[in-house]
Amino acid sequence: MPNITIDGEQYEIEDGQNLLNACLSLGINLPYFCWHPAMGSVGACRQCAVIEYKDFEDQRGKLVMGCMTPIKDGGIYSVSADSAREFRGGVIEDLMTNHPHDCPVCEEGGECHLQDMTEMSGHTLRRYRGTKRTHRNQYLGPFINHEMNRCIACYRCTRFYREYAGGSDLAALGRNNQVYFGREQDGMLESGFSGNLVEVCPTGVFTDKTFSEHFVRKWDLQTAPSICEHCAVGCNTAPGAREPGDGEDAILRRVTNLFNHDINGYFLCDRGRFGYDYVNSEARIKNVLATRTLELIETTAGENEKIHGDMAPRDALQQFADTITAARRGRRRLIGIGSPRSSLENNFALRQLVGAEHYYAGLNARDLQLLHLVDRIQRDPRLYSPTTPQIENADAVLVLGEEIEQTAPRIALAVRQAARNRQKQHAQQLKIPLWQDASVRQLDGSPSPILLVGVDTAGLCDIASEHLPCTAEQTAMFAAAIACRLSGDDSGSPDLPEGLLELADNAAQILAGAERPLIISGCGNRDKATLHGAAAIATALGERTESPCALYLACPEVNSLGIAQLFEPGTGDLEQLAQSLESGEDTGMPVSVVILENDLYRRADAETVEQILAADEVILLDSLLNQTARRADLIFPAAATAESQGSYINSNGTAQRFYAVYEGTGFIQESWRWLSDAAGLCGAKAPSLTALASWRHSTDLSAAIACEFSQMASLADLGPDEDYRIDGLKVARQTHRYSGRTAIHAKAHVAEQPPHADPDAPMAFSMEGIQNAGETPLVANIWSPGWNSNQSIHKFQQEVGGPRRHADGTARLLREPQAMPSWRAPTGSAPRSPAELELVPLYCLYGSDELSARAKAIASVIDEPYAVLSEHDASERAIAAGDSVEIELPEAHFLVRARISTDQPRGTLGVPYGLPGLEELAAYLPGRATLSRLARISSTESGGTAQ
Amino acid sequence: MTSMIEPEVVELMERSNKHPSTAEAQLTEAEIEEIEREFSRYEDKASVGLEALRIVQKHRGWISDETLRAVSNFLQIPVAQLESVATYFQLIFRQPVGKEVILLCKSASCWIMGCSRLQQKLQNKLQIAPGQTTADGIFTLLETPCLGDCDKAPVMMVGEEMHRNLTDESIDKIIENKKAHHADQSPD
Repeated sequence: MPNITIDGEQYEIEDGQNLLNACLSLGINLPYFCWHPAMGSVGACRQCAVIEYKDFEDQRGKLVMGCMTPIKDGGIYSVSADSAREFRGGVIEDLMTNHPHDCPVCEEGGECHLQDMTEMSGHTLRRYRGTKRTHRNQYLGPFINHEMNRCIACYRCTRFYREYAGGSDLAALGRNNQVYFGREQDGMLESGFSGNLVEVCPTGVFTDKTFSEHFVRKWDLQTAPSICEHCAVGCNTAPGAREPGDGEDAILRRVTNLFNHDINGYFLCDRGRFGYDYVNSEARIKNVLATRTLELIETTAGENEKIHGDMAPRDALQQFADTITAARRGRRRLIGIGSPRSSLENNFALRQLVGAEHYYAGLNARDLQLLHLVDRIQRDPRLYSPTTPQIENADAVLVLGEEIEQTAPRIALAVRQAARNRQKQHAQQLKIPLWQDASVRQLDGSPSPILLVGVDTAGLCDIASEHLPCTAEQTAMFAAAIACRLSGDDSGSPDLPEGLLELADNAAQILAGAERPLIISGCGNRDKATLHGAAAIATALGERTESPCALYLACPEVNSLGIAQLFEPGTGDLEQLAQSLESGEDTGMPVSVVILENDLYRRADAETVEQILAADEVILLDSLLNQTARRADLIFPAAATAESQGSYINSNGTAQRFYAVYEGTGFIQESWRWLSDAAGLCGAKAPSLTALASWRHSTDLSAAIACEFSQMASLADLGPDEDYRIDGLKVARQTHRYSGRTAIHAKAHVAEQPPHADPDAPMAFSMEGIQNAGETPLVANIWSPGWNSNQSIHKFQQEVGGPRRHADGTARLLREPQAMPSWRAPTGSAPRSPAELELVPLYCLYGSDELSARAKAIASVIDEPYAVLSEHDASERAIAAGDSVEIELPEAHFLVRARISTDQPRGTLGVPYGLPGLEELAAYLPGRATLSRLARISSTESGGTAQ
Repeated sequence: MTSMIEPEVVELMERSNKHPSTAEAQLTEAEIEEIEREFSRYEDKASVGLEALRIVQKHRGWISDETLRAVSNFLQIPVAQLESVATYFQLIFRQPVGKEVILLCKSASCWIMGCSRLQQKLQNKLQIAPGQTTADGIFTLLETPCLGDCDKAPVMMVGEEMHRNLTDESIDKIIENKKAHHADQSPD
């Protein structure tokens, strides 16, 4: 390791880095703009100038740019030399000539890298008295504000947007003093990663438009480490909340990225960043609701939509407790339905309440089986679930039937980086350091092989070496063919058309030749054969190289893999529940169903849902009013992710804990607390109920889960528990300069109220406590003296870009290794009548996810219900793009607009999964339906309707 | 007390901020043929962007939003990327220009030789400032960095012709000639 001298101090540092990187890792403050830890150096802004000396005799030295200077052994540098300081001050002065003095009204103010660097450079007096160049701003859609006058032309935005994230509609326009970063014309930024511009921009050109709606300064936000609940990747986030100051309760105001080296790194997708607003939506449940008629057992099957009114929580809990008592005394059946979008703790509490034998997963059989299959496959010792850096490092990627751009966007962003590995290899051969971003990108552009098979309209097409849109069945056969070639056993190879065979040969060769091959698939096709196929390829590769092969399987929801852990394979699905309810009807015993954070209409076919909701009493715990809520007798307001503590298990099998950012308003509390409260009021005494009633902390439940399920034993050590203290104090969620502490509630109370107590976390809803507990995973307010912006994250890392300086609060599932049995592709499916089309799910970044679709900004960009058919099928049915067509199923029909795509395989109809208006269609995917064009095109009827 | 920005100015800004047109112009056959001829000289279609813009501008005088989109469609490159090329080069005109574009050199040699005074004269004569076009639509005046003829300063280009060792008289003559030329050409 090279030794260098900076300002007379000797340091030993890692080889191969640049001087700026080294300085920041060593804790030396050196200002910069254009460099970014994930994007490398281009030497554009000239801000990180330092003096390099020839030897110890050299008194003058020469000015070099830190980010462009490879450190060399014995190098002598000075950051604090006067000439370097003067130069850096001069650069700032130059940059600032055009920068407006609008910090007080700028939303970046207080977390602005430009402010920080200006202070750091020491140039804090403006001498320039001339006019400034001004620009007209653009409308960039509902997510991002544009204020070009603040631009300092560091080019980070276009480097991120175009080069890192593959966007094409943001460019550097103009030149000289008139460079303009924008679109060719006004319009929404097309990339699903546009929100990162807010954090990438060192000043206030791009700011969060949803945050503008309820803006406060960074220092006035209360934060805690959280997990994004909008897909199964498990990105770490730092949501921020604060009271409005008019005596009302706190609202969630924004979400920013929280660095996790192995999952999201520096970037989030737009669904994750802007989806938070659902918690503030009009549909939010804040009080306990009950049907107007408070008499029990009055509902009958077939009766629809109930009218609700507020109910005192105490009365509602008593009613709930009476139900539980009746069930314990054998006078009532009590059923619990869990949810993959709720935490392990909530699900476990429900299981504890109703008993394992009456607890169901809240998923249909197909979806639950898929999750169990994912779990089963991940146990195979011949493969492993890669982290995001491992995905970025892959030198050949095969994506099988999973639209990762829509279902696991952060993973798609990682795959995009993997496409550059050949280029990086080339750079290494030429001894060009990888941080020399511009130089590396100029090298031979031949991308690493990225094969997309059975993926429709993938946003990754521009980096794909092969793109083959095909049906799920073909995808599985194609996978089987590759697996056969890899394992050298050609006997089981399925019959494929000539062109596909060649492609399979090619793919097998590429994967076999790769050093770090990666297979990506998931539950997107809702097809077990696709998963089996992906597993067969990965295990064959693992056997060939005798080292585990990377296989990433994307799950649909934030805790999908978690809920699968609570059930034995083959048990717990909604069809089984419907069946058992039907067979139990004869006994005449009344049935109560407790539904945990789940909209059943999205989960199962109409018949099953009807059977379940026909129960004598339906008790729902949820955060938003939905279809299921209309049928519930009793609704308890459940806390959203940002308001609660718990654990989720992501697609990788990594358990992560999230902490409450703020207390929910009204009577909102965690679902498990409602269940625990009800158990406490219950007349019947059973050990399981007593235990449930005795749990006081979220971590009590985590520990109980760890105790009961060996694969989740690590849940008990997920992070500091409630009793953890630093110097006898909890960690503060509010910053040390949080304002208005004594005034913010003054409208309601003149006296200062004590902060909410937090029984779950070693954190306080207060500014009192430990600030900047950087050695724990409890810090979400990324701040360091002199570094007010999110750039200060390097102060919390072991080295720049490295993991955070503490155990990161995550733990992998401890599953028994178990090899997958060999698998053969299914041969042919039941013939389809020519009138029918195969319904296949399509996924949308905006709309497919239940919760984020209710966030205001995201709701404004969700497409109207549509369906995609091939040109052939369209012309056969005389359907033109834009026609109103009806999807007809035996039990329901849905009205949609037709879209026509050359990528849609013949005989299939692509239907957006879960899109508002089509939620109830989700349970029928994949399946078969007929399609008819409506003679009369009506513009008002665009939503789907169930019969 | 009046607002910092006059109402007329605000109105003008609002009007120019009108909803952008999405109409697509078609490239003519002649333009397509010329652009295709350039393909052999470059590695990929995207690299032909600048040449394509020059060719189309030669035919149309300037590059409208519709024209830009037509070129971007034809070359299959993102319109933002093409716009960044178009706005980088000052000789790609994204606004209508006169029939004769005057490029007046403003570099050191020409400055020493009095280009500023000549510019004033030109402006007075044409009644336009740099960046503007005369009311009759004949002349557009632009300032430019060095035209590479410093030993014959001051210099300017009118269209593709270079005019050297400029004086008040020679400028008068050039302008009158051009005016006469365009008067002859005009149909009425």
